[in-house]
Amino acid sequence: MTDSTESPDLQRRNGLRRLKEGTYGGLFAACAAITLLTTVAIFVTLLSDAVVFFQEIPISEFLTGTSWSPNPSGGGQAFGVVPLLIGTIVVTITAAFVSLPTGTLTAIYLSEYATSNARSILKPLLEILAGIPTVVYGYFALVYVTPALEATLFPEIGTFNALSASIMVGIMTIPMVSSISEDAMSAVPDELRQAGYGLGATKFEVSTGIVVPASISGIASSYILAVSRAIGETMIVVVAMGAQARMPAVREAAFGVPFINPADVLLESGMTITVAMVQIAGGDLTGGTIPYDSMFALGLALFAVTLVMNVISDIIAERYREEY
Amino acid sequence: MSNTSSDTTGDESLITTEVETGSTQRTPARTAVAARDLNVYYGDEQAIDDVTIEIPEKRVTALIGPSGCGKSTFLRCINRMNDMIEVCRVEGDVEFGGKNVYDDDVDPVALRRKIGMVFQKPNPFPKSIRDNVAYGLKIQGYDGDVDERVEESLKAAALYEEVKDQLDSSGLDLSGGQQQRLCIARAIAPDPEVVLMDEPTSALDPVAASKIEDLIDDLAEQYTVIIVTHNMQQAARISDRTAVFLTGGRLVEYDDTPKIFEDPEEQRVEDYITGKFG
Amino acid sequence: MATDNANAGGFGEVSRVRGIVFEYLSFGASVFGLVALGVLLVYVSIDAFDLANASPEWLLTYFLTLVVPFLAFCLYSANDSEVTRRALAALGGGLVAVAALFTAIEAVVAPIPRLNWQLAYLFVVAAPVAAYLAYVGSRGRVAAVGFGLLGRLVGGAAIGLAVGTLFLVFDELVWFLAYTFGVVPAAALYAYGRWRAADRAATAAIPVGLVGLVTAVFLRRVVTVYPSDLVIYLWTIAIPVAAVGAFLVVDRSGRTVGIVVAGLPLTVATAGGFLAAGAGLSAPTVLLVLVLAGVPTAVYVSRVIEVGDGIVGLGLPILLAAGVAAGALIVEAWGVPAPDPWLDLGYVTEAPSRTPEEAGLYPAIVGSVIIIALVAVLSFVLGVGTSVFLEEYTPESGVLGSLTRLLQINIANLAAIPSVVYGLLGLGLFANLLGFGFGTAVTVALTLSLLILPITIISAQEAIRSVPDDLRRGSDAMGATRWQTTKNVVLPEAMPGIFTGTILALGRAIGETAPLIMVGAATTVFSAPSSLFSRFSAMPMQIYAWANFPQADFRYGVVAAGVITLLVILIGMNGTAILLRNRAERGN
Repeated sequence: MTDSTESPDLQRRNGLRRLKEGTYGGLFAACAAITLLTTVAIFVTLLSDAVVFFQEIPISEFLTGTSWSPNPSGGGQAFGVVPLLIGTIVVTITAAFVSLPTGTLTAIYLSEYATSNARSILKPLLEILAGIPTVVYGYFALVYVTPALEATLFPEIGTFNALSASIMVGIMTIPMVSSISEDAMSAVPDELRQAGYGLGATKFEVSTGIVVPASISGIASSYILAVSRAIGETMIVVVAMGAQARMPAVREAAFGVPFINPADVLLESGMTITVAMVQIAGGDLTGGTIPYDSMFALGLALFAVTLVMNVISDIIAERYREEY
Repeated sequence: MSNTSSDTTGDESLITTEVETGSTQRTPARTAVAARDLNVYYGDEQAIDDVTIEIPEKRVTALIGPSGCGKSTFLRCINRMNDMIEVCRVEGDVEFGGKNVYDDDVDPVALRRKIGMVFQKPNPFPKSIRDNVAYGLKIQGYDGDVDERVEESLKAAALYEEVKDQLDSSGLDLSGGQQQRLCIARAIAPDPEVVLMDEPTSALDPVAASKIEDLIDDLAEQYTVIIVTHNMQQAARISDRTAVFLTGGRLVEYDDTPKIFEDPEEQRVEDYITGKFG
Repeated sequence: MATDNANAGGFGEVSRVRGIVFEYLSFGASVFGLVALGVLLVYVSIDAFDLANASPEWLLTYFLTLVVPFLAFCLYSANDSEVTRRALAALGGGLVAVAALFTAIEAVVAPIPRLNWQLAYLFVVAAPVAAYLAYVGSRGRVAAVGFGLLGRLVGGAAIGLAVGTLFLVFDELVWFLAYTFGVVPAAALYAYGRWRAADRAATAAIPVGLVGLVTAVFLRRVVTVYPSDLVIYLWTIAIPVAAVGAFLVVDRSGRTVGIVVAGLPLTVATAGGFLAAGAGLSAPTVLLVLVLAGVPTAVYVSRVIEVGDGIVGLGLPILLAAGVAAGALIVEAWGVPAPDPWLDLGYVTEAPSRTPEEAGLYPAIVGSVIIIALVAVLSFVLGVGTSVFLEEYTPESGVLGSLTRLLQINIANLAAIPSVVYGLLGLGLFANLLGFGFGTAVTVALTLSLLILPITIISAQEAIRSVPDDLRRGSDAMGATRWQTTKNVVLPEAMPGIFTGTILALGRAIGETAPLIMVGAATTVFSAPSSLFSRFSAMPMQIYAWANFPQADFRYGVVAAGVITLLVILIGMNGTAILLRNRAERGN
């Protein structure tokens, strides 16, 4: 920073221009800070009301209670999360039965078998599946899928049932599995395929014996993401599954072994965590009541579960990116 | 220039001794692989130009030539790995065990089970060492003792002593040279008749490369080895027969290795070997 | 594993049965979801348009007057005898195949509800062939011109409707004053500054504009007499749009063409506005639609005529309109029994009702448009700001580097939080704590903006990252500051990608329902909202409400029509995004 009249003026600018630069940088940083604030706000909002809720209802009662009836009309209020958990798990598992095999096979087809032409058509088309509004899927399940199941496979199916809702959740999450898995499979170096072919492996053996194992962490990460999406899915289940928090009937098989008939759970209505939240929101929103606070407790649980699953999925996915 | 000539003389003596011992111990060779009037095209471009060659059984045959001369293409014709390149078109015959591998009734997958292949870059599967070697056995439905065969193959690949305590750790944890020997073990585990090697040492450091070279020499006791190399000293050291490809995919000269390196018929081959071009 | 039967001559053969089975299985899996969705969409269209009650004569009439001319137009444009032969073979062969298959299924298994072979032919053969021919045809100049014209007409009208809708909640008088005292002087100063290379004038534009805006808000309370709405829209929107249109053509085609291109649509629109008032329609909306569809169309027509290639293509809208008219005439004259679609003009212009025949979606459509406009502005600004910060302003290492990584991980996790949780955030923060009210446009828009913000940021980051570093270095070497490089080099290059990503994210926002329920958006609103703080409904909310109505007519008719409306708007948005992206890719 020498001050000489001879040398060109290289002095750092003060004043207007620097102010302008700083202002723009600050504005952009503020935008970025909003994303961080959103997370904090979500956490604080959920936690503050959840804390109030847990002062009224002990955590142990919440976690082990087998009855959920937040509205005190006839009979007492009860805030047991177990039936909601069962509903959520049923939907998630059934949806996984649709989305995981289909998505994996789709990924294998796209990565190993499809011509580049077929791939360029199929990939964007598959993304459509994830882009259809979920309320539309719910409507499809209620109005078309359930009657179709009733007419063909399950005459005893209820108007509101877990099965058709779960099938739709599964179809919606197919692209999540297929696109991330396909990325992982495409990242498998071609040399490995060549080595397999060089040993006399068929295309089937190379695809299932070399490519799939080599991309297993990417596939696993896609599974976790799809399952986490299914857990948080709301509108499909709200529209098509009804809203009855029930404990499944435990039957007795031979030798007194207790079991739950899947048909009891799948063909009848049930309630997931998300449905319970929507149901309360449909009634009372002014705040300060226990049902109002219970939404936030449920939301906190949902938030925690999906967050943990996403972090795990990230860590696993990070691993496959490092491998090659 | 003076350096190059002195190098060549050094190599010559080495070759002579080696071949002398080799030829006294081995019986006269039958033909393992032969090509007749072979032409290969990538789209409009000709990669192999009318090659006819007979490659002897249980010998090391080296394919040398400048880059882009078609030697790797030729190697990949033998086990039909070129089938996977869409624009690749093959004319003429490649005979293996007296049968043209390009006949309509030949299943390329079955063919590749009889011909092993080792690639330029070590490419072990991201599986354990044991599973890597056992892979070929598994897909071919090997009904003997897999562990025993894995051990034999690793020993044959001179890797067993180094890895015998970590057979269940990942093949990717090995060093580059070890990985390449693992790939060789993998290739020979199903007991193929021919082992194709596509510049197997070019991605390795000199020490690791020399280990592989020693290994190749041993392999020729049991297998027909066909090796592509861009390293002429290596060809001179390890091979019994040498085929020289020059630009345009033409096989210019094919003879016993000492003859090629001492007294080639063609001026172009001599120019190439002495480093005048290529 | 695989059998290896060594035969004398060859090397044996490895069984491929499992491999082939697997290949077909995996192909089946790839199309399973798409086929399922396709079947459901066919059914929902049948319900929305009451096609199950469409007589074969009705279908045949419109097939001949509308579909056949369209196919002929595409084939004429493609001008390829091979394509023609294949299309005819598919149409003919498909007819035989579908009819035979249907008869067989109905005879052997069971009749398929609400579907007959004519409809199946329409959806499975005719529609895909038409789509394929439209694609092939658009490579020819004639159809490209036809579709270009059609796109400007429809797109312009849609934008006109949307702009008209926005003024239901924004005060058009403030806009009138702000435009007159802020926008016009500022634009004039800026233009003068550029024209005379007078930097001072250009720099003064922004302060002058701001002063004008403040004046407008102040004057709004003082002034009591205003011109009519029609005059306001004419002055603030129609004339500027026409001027821009004229400006675009004048350079190339001369003054006369410029005057025609601007004057003709303007005259038609003004006349339409005056006539509309008499016909009971909203005069400003008619004006906006006519001018926003008319000016781009006029510019396009003048350009096509100038180039002189594919002028025939300009006849496409006339061809289609004539087809519809002819079909209607035949149906009327011969008394062909026609279906009574749920989705008609009344459905999109009327309010919900307890009787299915009178139910309409209008207030919900207005709600959705307003919410989407707010979300678009909010998420675009925040998304671009954040992505510029992350890509251009932060170092990769050091303390700030780890902060960047933290932000990045945080954004990825925000993208995966269930939307119902965002609803709780909106409820707790915007509705209760900040007091923006339950289910108001502001609350809903803020909630949805935060919901799609991570998607917007991630796609904007990708767009910015794809700008080659050479360009940045080139600008830096000229002595540009970081902001100058960003503004002049990076953002212009990345803009098409950012727009595409934002529109796709908005598609997600328009279909979201759960957060709206959580913040207390109304399921049913009977009149269009009049301010940003009145209660709102949106299309998905209305669909959700109707899906639970007990009457079958609601479930199968009214909701189906709502679903089709929502999907058409969604497809329109996503199609625009894809067109933008393709154009940008072709440009590079």
